[in-house]
Amino acid sequence: MFGIRRSTERRREDAATAAPPGPLRDYLSAPFPDLATPVTELSLLALDVESTGLDVEEDRVLAVGWVPVDGLSIDLSGARRRVLATRRDVGQSATVHGLTDDAIAAGDLPVAVLTELLGALSGRVLLAHHASIEVGFLDAACRRVHGVPFVATSVDTLHLQRRVLTEGLGAQPDPLPGALRLWAARERYGLPRYRAHEPLTDALACAELYLAQVAELSQRSSKPLTLKAIRAT
Amino acid sequence: MADTELAEVADFLAGHAPFAALPARVLRALPARLTIRYHRRGSSLMAVGVDNHDLIIVRSGAIEIRDADGGLVDRCAEGSTAGSTTLIGPNPSRFDVVAIEDTLALHLPAEVFHELSQAHPDFADHFDAERADRLRTAVSSVATNPAGEAILRTSARDLVHRAPVSVGDDVTIAEAARVMTDEGVSSLLVMDGRGVVGILTDRDLRRRVLAVGVDPAGPVTSVMTPDPVVAAADTSALELLVTMTERTIHHLPVVEAGRPLGVVTTTDLMRLERVNMVHIVGDVSKQPDVAGVVAMARRLPRLVEQLVGQDVAADDITRVVTTVGDAIERRLIALAEDELTAAGHGPPPRYCWMTMGSRARHEQALGGDQDHGVILADDAPEGAEDYIGALAEIVVTGLEACGYPRCEGDVMASNPRWRQRLTGWRREFRQWIHEPTSDAVLTASIFFDSRPLAGDDTLHARLAEDIAAWAPQGHNFLGHLVAAAVANEPPLGFFRGFVLARAGDHKDTLDLKRGGVGAIVDLARAHALGAGLVSVNTRSRLLAAGRAGALDPAVAASLVDALEFISHVRLAHQTRQAASGATPDSRLRPSELTPFEQRTLREAFHVVRDAQQALAQRSPGHLT
Repeated sequence: MFGIRRSTERRREDAATAAPPGPLRDYLSAPFPDLATPVTELSLLALDVESTGLDVEEDRVLAVGWVPVDGLSIDLSGARRRVLATRRDVGQSATVHGLTDDAIAAGDLPVAVLTELLGALSGRVLLAHHASIEVGFLDAACRRVHGVPFVATSVDTLHLQRRVLTEGLGAQPDPLPGALRLWAARERYGLPRYRAHEPLTDALACAELYLAQVAELSQRSSKPLTLKAIRAT
Repeated sequence: MADTELAEVADFLAGHAPFAALPARVLRALPARLTIRYHRRGSSLMAVGVDNHDLIIVRSGAIEIRDADGGLVDRCAEGSTAGSTTLIGPNPSRFDVVAIEDTLALHLPAEVFHELSQAHPDFADHFDAERADRLRTAVSSVATNPAGEAILRTSARDLVHRAPVSVGDDVTIAEAARVMTDEGVSSLLVMDGRGVVGILTDRDLRRRVLAVGVDPAGPVTSVMTPDPVVAAADTSALELLVTMTERTIHHLPVVEAGRPLGVVTTTDLMRLERVNMVHIVGDVSKQPDVAGVVAMARRLPRLVEQLVGQDVAADDITRVVTTVGDAIERRLIALAEDELTAAGHGPPPRYCWMTMGSRARHEQALGGDQDHGVILADDAPEGAEDYIGALAEIVVTGLEACGYPRCEGDVMASNPRWRQRLTGWRREFRQWIHEPTSDAVLTASIFFDSRPLAGDDTLHARLAEDIAAWAPQGHNFLGHLVAAAVANEPPLGFFRGFVLARAGDHKDTLDLKRGGVGAIVDLARAHALGAGLVSVNTRSRLLAAGRAGALDPAVAASLVDALEFISHVRLAHQTRQAASGATPDSRLRPSELTPFEQRTLREAFHVVRDAQQALAQRSPGHLT
């Protein structure tokens, strides 16, 4: 376990050295939260990305939403939603996320959004549902813009949900297909129904789910829950 | 571009008072000033004695608010708020707030709360009203309610209803706790040779002993409140109320010449307030004619509305409705006797007018119909039946004018079958018990819930003794009672896609009586008569059956809770109907229920169904 930590920190330091001065280097220069940090004191940033598809090389990010989680409290004052101006047509994906070409034409420059997001993420753990997608898009963007990979400590509510369902009392070895999806997981906790596929709403939905999961896992655990016990990478 | 707009949160707030009334611009900017927290079922959001700085808005789930004595103040579901008392008034909190379901809550900081209150008077008014409701129900009603006069006339001396329970100052905490348990009191005075030196309450035992792990073998003087506030015997009830509210104390020793007379509790004061309201309506006994009685009866729905609004227990409210109904019926009987005398009939023969059904059980709701009968003495003169017939006609008409419809089954003293001599009644009951038919038992069940209302009580007492003695032997009779008690299935289907009564006017409504209150009443009757118990009130029957071993005490307690909740929903529904000029009934539209009420009702109906199944299994032979 210690080896993994060292390698994540090593990768962060290596990437920081390689990065040109600017927002990515600033982000990479801030140490990640210590793995021994209890969840009650852990700072995270719940993030959701809406894109034209799931191929991080070919598809483009259309919009992002994020909201900070400080300990066991979601801070709505830090909630942001950004639509990215992109030259590529939205095409069929508009039926999923509802972003039209016009809305996107009026959006922010992708580089500016990346800078703002890296600033918000500094010193925090990245929180997402199926986090590899968010991490993948950020990595592709960082490589494209700054020529350096993106490194993060992340917590994935999809992984946590699998643990909630497969460990402890009343566990099922194989959760039903669909039970791990964001909206199904929320329903299990009686969390309110939201309109899906709006990036800020999805980020908020993920953050709320995280609080519910952490409450349940804390109750099951004999010792205080730490970042080490819940992180994905 | 509204790039930080939290549409889901803003839309939610826009759907609930008092946020709904805020201007759209303010509402849109509000979410960014909130935080969201998740509280697992059973966790505390606010505690007595701890400072609070947020207004808590329930986003999903449900919370419960209790006062320092553990009394239930409010239960709140989605869209409700908690915490305003500490934002408007002083910290620390006087309430415990606990999540009773997994709860997602929006937290609105105090400074935002004050900003909104100053800029939007409607917003401030909403919380002032809520605070008044929760914190000072009693005090505020004094100001607005004619009942306040009575509370000024009542003194501390009048409120003390038992001698004080006390211990010496040399006993241990454990001994003191034992005395409190044995005496069934929530507070104890600690005395030395000269007088009261301290007071110890249930709450002290909880907070100063259990919560902090103090050794119960220690001296009681180490955990009592020394030199407590006391009241002189002639202090008015209003002063007591103000003192107790201001100092947040719930037990006040009353002393006279240095000697304690007893202890007044906040519950005593709350009860007094209710009694006085009954007293106002209870002036019916002084009304000179039927029109005066009718005018008094018209005040009943408004009184019930107030009590429901103050979250008075349904059990207490139905007792109030019953008491007022009794007073009305007694007065009408007396007026009818006068009228007959004036017309040259009389004197009245020896008789007992009995009330039956829900009124007899002290469980009358609004809209209840008339159920009564008359037992004539065996030695009453010939023609006494005719006198009672004429009397009953007058009373029935008067009751109708007062808002009590005629009994659909004609169970009224105006029906010759229900005005008989004692011998006749004994014959009827013996037949019901020893040679029952299913129909007859159903019709007759109402007669097993009876109570003398006017005239000679001893006639009723004779009959009641016989019934209690005969009933446990009537196995077929008990079988029919059990069958009836398990026949009215709780409408659990209601909660799965609203499968409801389909007939006529009642389409798409939920009947709270048939499978709810009525089913619990039937269960209680079957258990009580089977065990030969004389209680008539459903709550008493259930608890007595629990003590007698005829019913699992835990099930009895759950049924009492279920009855209380269903009755409360029913009373709230009836007061809404009465306020809009409709005839009160027990049929609810699903849209009247909050999600929290739906969930709790479903739980209550499950309790009823489980109890029915347990009874059916225990008495399989009774079902054939």
